[in-house]
Amino acid sequence: MTLHAAIVKTEKEKISSEKAKNFILSEENGAESIFVGRVRNENNGKKVTAVTYDVHDKAVIKSFQSICFEAKSKFDSNASIFLEHAKGYVSVGEISILIAVSSGHRDEAFKICRFILEEIKHKSPIWKKEHYTEGNEQWLPGHSLRPKEEIK
Amino acid sequence: MEVQLKLYGSSKILSDKEILNIELPNNSNIETLRGVLSKIISKKYLKNSLQNLSKTAAFFSEKDEVVNDSYKLKNKELISIFPPIGGG
Repeated sequence: MTLHAAIVKTEKEKISSEKAKNFILSEENGAESIFVGRVRNENNGKKVTAVTYDVHDKAVIKSFQSICFEAKSKFDSNASIFLEHAKGYVSVGEISILIAVSSGHRDEAFKICRFILEEIKHKSPIWKKEHYTEGNEQWLPGHSLRPKEEIK
Repeated sequence: MEVQLKLYGSSKILSDKEILNIELPNNSNIETLRGVLSKIISKKYLKNSLQNLSKTAAFFSEKDEVVNDSYKLKNKELISIFPPIGGG
């Protein structure tokens, strides 16, 4: 198996980079690229304490698989991909997303990693609610999944 | 007729529950639902926090696909509302 795509419910477990490294390890692939996204303590001048991620599980898994298959067909069909995204409350400093890729060569490994991240931001139904030090919270704006030509 | 709107992301501001039951005229489609949703947002004084939601949201059916405005809704149908996304 060369693809692992999952949603990690944060009240039960954490995203593990060790698990990702073991998954992508392959004698055929000489290059590894790992992207780790963590919750930052500041956004637009506001002090952030945590982010809650809301996810439509089924649609997200479907989009993850489609994005990863597209990445493999575009850049390297022998690539191994590990992709996990958090669901639920994630404190500052904790991992929200992890993408690990092993590929034949470094260029493809970097490209696949970047491609997956950008596609997720535009295609996977995931929403972020930021929690601030003042005790308030806010859902962040994002990209509409409705076709542009239909928005009047 | 009535539809069950499963709330995601910012649309959760609309209710304390995960599902919002919405009354619609018979034979409604997604376009009708957008209009009714816009009225609910105004009624609840949520125009500032849910600006443009009725226009920018996508709707996701039980058949696991985003549906367009002409999609005919069935009575008691469960439909998910997808506000603009921003994961990663």
